[in-house]
Amino acid sequence: MKPHEMTAEREVWYRSKTFKRFRRNPLAIVGTLLLLAFVLVALFAPAITANQLATIRTARPCLRDLGIKRTEAVSVLRNPLNPVFWRAVLVPPKSCYDIPRDGYSPLPKPPSKKHPLGVSGDSYDILYGLVWGSRTAFYVGFLVVGISLAIGIVVGGISGFIGGAVDNVIMRVTDVMLSFPGLVFVMIVAVIFGNGLLQVMLALAFIRWAGYARFFRGDILRTKSLDFVDAARALGGSPLRIFVKHVFPNAIGTLLIIASMDVGAIVLTAAGLSFLGLGAPVGYADWGQMISFARGYILGTAQGTPFDFWYVWIYPTIMLVLFGLAWNLLGDAVRDALDPKS
Amino acid sequence: MTTFIIRRLLQLPIVLIAISLLIFGMMQALTPEQRAATYAKSEQQAQHLDAIIRQYNLDKGFFVQYSTWLKEVLHGNLGYSKQSHEPVLTTIRKRLPVSAELAIFMFLPTLAFGIWMGTMAAIHRDKLIDQFVRVFAIVGWSLPTFVMGIWLLAVVYGYFHCCGIGRLDDKYMVEFAQGTLKRYTGMMTIDGILNGRWDVTLSALKHLVMPIIAYTIVASAQIMRVLRSSMLDVLNSDYVRTARAKGLPERVVNIKHARRNAIIPVVTIAGLMIAYLLEGSFFIEIIFNIHGLGQWSVPATLQLDFPAVIGVALLVGLSVSIANLVVDILYGIIDPRISFQ
Repeated sequence: MKPHEMTAEREVWYRSKTFKRFRRNPLAIVGTLLLLAFVLVALFAPAITANQLATIRTARPCLRDLGIKRTEAVSVLRNPLNPVFWRAVLVPPKSCYDIPRDGYSPLPKPPSKKHPLGVSGDSYDILYGLVWGSRTAFYVGFLVVGISLAIGIVVGGISGFIGGAVDNVIMRVTDVMLSFPGLVFVMIVAVIFGNGLLQVMLALAFIRWAGYARFFRGDILRTKSLDFVDAARALGGSPLRIFVKHVFPNAIGTLLIIASMDVGAIVLTAAGLSFLGLGAPVGYADWGQMISFARGYILGTAQGTPFDFWYVWIYPTIMLVLFGLAWNLLGDAVRDALDPKS
Repeated sequence: MTTFIIRRLLQLPIVLIAISLLIFGMMQALTPEQRAATYAKSEQQAQHLDAIIRQYNLDKGFFVQYSTWLKEVLHGNLGYSKQSHEPVLTTIRKRLPVSAELAIFMFLPTLAFGIWMGTMAAIHRDKLIDQFVRVFAIVGWSLPTFVMGIWLLAVVYGYFHCCGIGRLDDKYMVEFAQGTLKRYTGMMTIDGILNGRWDVTLSALKHLVMPIIAYTIVASAQIMRVLRSSMLDVLNSDYVRTARAKGLPERVVNIKHARRNAIIPVVTIAGLMIAYLLEGSFFIEIIFNIHGLGQWSVPATLQLDFPAVIGVALLVGLSVSIANLVVDILYGIIDPRISFQ
């Protein structure tokens, strides 16, 4: 679309310095394209892995929950005109997140026609795990950011709006939260409330809100001191109305952008925890879990060459790093664009 | 300055109490029997949990329980670990030097490399080295330590048979076990020197090579980014131009005038890094099989060994708080303006 075809508002945005700085940054384009690729892979996971679903016997619970037969799996899951296609894409049953295993052999097998990226130890299909793992990655990232952002906005908003003693107490609480080590906190949660993906996500969200609360409070205080807020007060607006109508909408923008760029970092952290065994159970489509599972095969067989089982650990680690890279490239470009100094 | 330090010192106990309250509050989700395990001093005591429940007021109200628990913790009773088959404090005493040694050896090269590359990038802006640092920084930022560790393990150890995992070559471990070599500090590099055996120290250093590389590549990226951008800011400032106009050598301008001021944000980052160093070493310990705190407490988590996890949490909480304190005071010394606020 060319600038002259746009509505006035969009043209203002398109011509704005911030967006221009973003557009002209080649790294931003690379990051955006990478991320787009991940989104497409995650979204169309059922279509991409239709062959695995059709040929591997242990994928049956997923097909059963979708209500299709093995013989028709490929034709249905790759046909956008079929309603089941969209059901699998938008609301896939939980059982589809279990990586199907082709037999029970403990030894990994190299890539073949049936398993394009090979099978890892205990015969889990690697391609399936990677593709569905990207769904898990987005899910974990967005959920953790969403929850911690919601808490952060409420707490930071209260702190900035009321101020005084309340503000002081809240800021001391955030001090404590920020100086509480994240990994150890997740360990405590896992040992007390049980070990699982949900517990780990909640623990991460609970440890991260303090940073957002502080950031938001700072932005509120900055916005509060601007002239247009004084003008609104002079016009006789009540404190609550001024806060809701003028301060809040003007203060929240930067926080939302900064926080949304944290998704990559959170996915890397969560993968690290899964690697330690805190989070998704064995066999769940999650990159960290797959890397953790690959640990025993990194050095190859006892007598053989070290790269005997390269496919077991190379693919998931590369996926994870590319995912992190995509978000960080994007985040870096956004931060540069927002900060005129750099 | 003194009042600043004193005020900051007074905050420490408050933070520590808050952390212990948080941990103890979460422990309330456990049954009294499970909590009782964190009070037992030995295997035998762990068999008689109902006696412990009575002795330590576990059937009483929250604050009675909390004060009893705090008293035990302050006396060094952290309970008995199923994972290591000994009291938690004993295990911590054995393993803390290992993790601390690892942390020190990981931190110093990271700081040095990060500051060096960050300075080079800023001085030679848009030259080849700057482009390299920028790519390195963003890739390093996206690379978790455990992934880097796995890659190094496969290539350096698996393919080139270099450097070795664990802490020492086997023959030296045998000597330590037999008693021909004595453990003084628990840090192998220092124990080697104290025993007068340079070969032991050398072996220990060799085993530290991979952990150091893995951590340095990942963590120095952040220091580079921050130093580069703050240094670019400073290099554009008036007083640097004045220094150049005076005819000072370029080197003196860059290092003495510009970097002195540009380094302040690095202190913040480095402080955060020190605080999380102990945690970061957990991954390294598990990948390279180093018998430190993480290599014990992470499996302990999976085995539901409450006393071990809570003991380590208290220790890490304490070390993070102290690290934050030291960094704040350091900050005040480097930039006197801060202590007046």
